Amino acid sequence: MTLTRRAFHAALLGSAVAAIAFRPTPASALAQDSADLFLNRLTFGTTPAEREVFRNLGPEAWLDAQLAPAPDRDLDARLADARLRIAYEAGDDGEGHSWSALDELRPLSSLTADPADLVPLLDFTKPMDYAHRNRPADEVIAASLIRAVHAKAQLAEVMTQFWHDHFNVSATKFEGTAVFFPAYDAMLRGHALGNFRAMLGDVARAPAMLNYLGNADSRASPANENFARELLELHTLGAGNYLNDRYRNWHEVPGAEDGLAEGYIDGDVFEVARAFTGWTIGDGRWIAEGALAPVDGRFHFAESWHDPYQKRILGREFPANRAPMADGEDVLDMLATHPGTARFVCTKIARRLLTDAPDDALVGRMADLFLQTAEAPDQIAQVVRLLALSPEFQAPAAKLRRPFEYLAALLRASGADVVSPEAAFRWELSRAGWRQHEYPPPTGHPDQLADWANTTVLARMVDTALYAHEPWAGITDTDPGLAITRGPVTFAGVADHWADVLGTDPDALRGSYLTALGAGPEDTLPEDPDERRGLIALAFSFAALSPEVLLR
Amino acid sequence: MSDPILVVVFLRGGADSLSLIAPAGDADYVAARSESLRVLRKGDAAGRVLRSPIADADFRFHPQAGALADLYEAGDLSVIHATGLAEATRSHFDAEARIEAAGPGSVGGGWLGRWLAAAQPGGPLPALAVGSSMPGSLAGSGAAVANELQDLMAAAGHWLAPSLRARLAEGFGAHPLLGATVAQLASLSEAVGARVWNAETNEALTYRPDVPYPSDTPLSQPLMTVARAIKSDLGLRVATVDYGGWDTHVGQADQFGSLTSGLSSALVAFWRDLGPRQQDVSVVIQSEFGRRLRANASGGTDHGRAGAMLVLGPQAKGGRMLGNWPGLKNEALEEGADLAVTTDYRSVLAEVMAGHMKVPDMGAVFPGFTPAPVGVWG
Repeated sequence: MTLTRRAFHAALLGSAVAAIAFRPTPASALAQDSADLFLNRLTFGTTPAEREVFRNLGPEAWLDAQLAPAPDRDLDARLADARLRIAYEAGDDGEGHSWSALDELRPLSSLTADPADLVPLLDFTKPMDYAHRNRPADEVIAASLIRAVHAKAQLAEVMTQFWHDHFNVSATKFEGTAVFFPAYDAMLRGHALGNFRAMLGDVARAPAMLNYLGNADSRASPANENFARELLELHTLGAGNYLNDRYRNWHEVPGAEDGLAEGYIDGDVFEVARAFTGWTIGDGRWIAEGALAPVDGRFHFAESWHDPYQKRILGREFPANRAPMADGEDVLDMLATHPGTARFVCTKIARRLLTDAPDDALVGRMADLFLQTAEAPDQIAQVVRLLALSPEFQAPAAKLRRPFEYLAALLRASGADVVSPEAAFRWELSRAGWRQHEYPPPTGHPDQLADWANTTVLARMVDTALYAHEPWAGITDTDPGLAITRGPVTFAGVADHWADVLGTDPDALRGSYLTALGAGPEDTLPEDPDERRGLIALAFSFAALSPEVLLR
Repeated sequence: MSDPILVVVFLRGGADSLSLIAPAGDADYVAARSESLRVLRKGDAAGRVLRSPIADADFRFHPQAGALADLYEAGDLSVIHATGLAEATRSHFDAEARIEAAGPGSVGGGWLGRWLAAAQPGGPLPALAVGSSMPGSLAGSGAAVANELQDLMAAAGHWLAPSLRARLAEGFGAHPLLGATVAQLASLSEAVGARVWNAETNEALTYRPDVPYPSDTPLSQPLMTVARAIKSDLGLRVATVDYGGWDTHVGQADQFGSLTSGLSSALVAFWRDLGPRQQDVSVVIQSEFGRRLRANASGGTDHGRAGAMLVLGPQAKGGRMLGNWPGLKNEALEEGADLAVTTDYRSVLAEVMAGHMKVPDMGAVFPGFTPAPVGVWG
C-alpha cells in the first residue's frame, strides 16, 4: 500500500514570517550517545524518559533494576484494556453444522486463561470458525507489540523475545500450537532472566512445543526424532557440537568413554528420541485401549508409549525400566550443564545483546559463569549482567535492528500509545521476513546482519519509518506530527527536535530534511494544522532513516 | 537465444525422495512402508511410471506429481536419484548450509554467489533471491532479495521518494555494514520502477501471466516473480526460490500429497508462462536430504540421507532417469537406515553450470571438487 501527499512547496512561501524557533534543550551529546548505546542494546529502543532514568541511576543501578523487575501494573492494565478484532464470514463444517458471521472487538482473555479452559478449542466435533481456534496465538502476538513498546521491564521483554527465538514455536503452525501458546509465552517470560535448566524442563513439557515438534505423538517404536534433534542442535549443544561427519561410533567421540561426550552424533539423536517417548499432552488424546489422556491442557506422561529399554546418550548408559520421565529428565540435566551448551547459549545471548561475532574470551567468561550458577534461580540474569557490565559492551553499534525491533523502537521514540494493534502489522513485518511468533523453522529468526541487510528488508524499514503511525496501519492513534504543538516552529527546529528524541545527527537531518522540502532553516512551518502535522511527522520519518536508528 | 538463466528451487525440510520418485516395485520398499506412505502400482492412486529407469524397481512419480510426469514424458525433465551430500549429516540446517556453500568453509559464500563474483553479469538485476532473506547459495553475493519486484522500490509512490532515498544515501554512503545495500536499493528502485510502476496511477502494475498459476500453493507467487523478472528484461541470470514444509515427521501422507501437488502444478504453470523464454531457462529442484526408509510410529518419516534432484530445461537431455540406484536392502542402506548417496549433488549442479550456464571452469564455483559425469548434458 502506498500513500501520496500533496506537495507543500506553495504553502511554504507564504509562511516566511519571522518566528521564535522551537529549540529543545539538547542533552550533552556524549552522555546521550553512551546512554543510547546501552539502552538500545538492552531495551526495545530508547526514549527521552528512559534516558532520564538512566542518567539518574547510572548503568549498574539501571541494570540491576531491570534484572529484578517489579510488577508492572500499568502494563497489566493496558493488556486488560486491549481489544483485538475477531472477524469471519458465516460458514459450516461440511457436516451440517453452521455458524454465523462475526465481527467484534474482544479482549485478550486467553492471555491469562487456564490452558484447560482452552482445550475445547481443539475439539473438532464442535463447529466453529478457525479464527476461534487460532485466537489464543493471535492474542499473544498482538500483546507482544504492546509489551515491547510499553513494558517497564524492557530487558525482560528483550530476553523473552530472545528465548522465543531460541526455543522457537510457530504459534500458528497447528491449532494445537495456537491454543497452548499463551501458556508457552507466559512460561518463557517467567524464566527469561531465571534458571536455564528450569526453563529447558518447562519447554520440553510445554504442550505448544510438544505439538510444534511432534513429540506429543512420539511413541515406541520407532520414536519421532524431531524434538530430540532440535533439543540437541538448537536448544542446547548447538550445531557446532554435531560431530556426525567426524565420528561413526559413540566411543570415538572425545569424552564419551569418560561418560560425557564433547558433542553428539546421530546415534545420540536416536537415543534421545527414545528417552522422550511418551512425553505428550493432556488434551484427552487416545493413549491405549480404554485409556485416554486427561484434559487439563498440561504435560502428560504416557507410560505405555515410553520406550523403557537401555540407552546410551553422550557416552552415559541409561539402564532399562527407570522411573517415569527419569530418562528425559536426566538428558535435560546432562545437556543443561554441558560446557557445549554453556558456550552455545552464551554466544547467542552475546550475539543478541551486543554483536554478531562476540569475542571468544567474553563468551568464555559468560560460559564459566553460566556453569557456576547452574543451580541459581537468577542464572541468566547473572550472565546478562556480566555481559552488560563488561568492557566489550562499550563497542560501537553494529547490530541491524530487525524489523520488529525497528518498529517497536520507532513507536517508543515517538511516545506512541499502542492500545489495540490490529493484525495488519503482522503482515507488514512478514514482508520483511519477520514472523512474530510464527517463524516456521525451529531455528527462530536469524540474528546476524547478513541475514537482514538486504534490499527488501531495507525497503520495508523505509515503509515502517513512513507509515507505522498512519491510522491505516492499525497500530496506534498517536501522530508524531502532533509532537510539537507550541507556537510557530521552524523547519530546523522540527529537525532538531526529532534528532534529539531519536538520538541522531542533527546536522545531517537538517540537511536532508530542509533540502527535501526546499525550505530554509529559519522558515516556519505553515499554519494549516494538517500541513504542519504532516511536515512534523515527515521529519520523524527522515530522522528514523539514519544509522543511529537502524543500528543498535 | 539470450543469456542463460538458472532457477534453483529448494525444497526446505527434507523432501521424501522415496515418495516423490518412488521405487514402487522394490520389495524392500513395499515391505518397509505402509500403503499410505508409499506410491502404489495399481488402483486410482497409482503413480505414473518413469520410462528409462536406472534400475528394475518400477520407479513412479507420486500420484500428485502428474504435471511433473508430463514434463518428463515431453523430454524436458530429468530425474537424478540417490543424490546428496558426501558427508553424513541429518541436520536440516547443517545440510542446507553445506549444500548451499558447496565448498570448504575457508572459501566462503555460496556456490551461486561465487559464480556471480566470477562471471560478473551486468544488468540491473543479475541475481534475485525470491523471499525476504538471502539463501546460503547466494551468501555474500549482494543479490537482490524480494518477494515481488515492486518490493525492490524504496518509498514507492511517496511524494518525496527521491529525497528519502537521498537521505539513506547520505546517511549510509560509505557505511561498511549497509552502504552497499542502500546503494543497490536506490538503483533497483529506479530500474524496477521503470518496469513495474505506473507513475500516473501511482501504483504497481499487476503482473498478468500468460497461463493461470494454481491458487492453492505458496510456490505460485515466487515463481510468478521469477517469470516476471525474466520477461521484464532486467538481465536476470540466477534466481532462487524456497518452498518449505517438507519436514514430515508426523502424518506425512496428506502433507506430502499437497506439497507435491503444489510443486507440480506451480512448476508447470511457470514453465508454460515462460513461453519462448523456456529456451533460456533451466530449473534445478533439490532438497537438503531425503527421509528414512522406515516410517516412525507417528505416521511420518525422520531425516534420511539421499534425495532426488530434478532438472527442467529444453537444453538438458530430459525424459531420463540418471544416477546409480543403490537399492534398499539392509546392507545397502547408509547406517542401516537410509537410501545411500551415490551421486554427489555437486556433480549434477556442475553439469548444469557447464551445459546450461556455459561455465568453462568449475574451480571457482565448486572449489576442490572434481565432478563425476552424470549425463544431464551430453
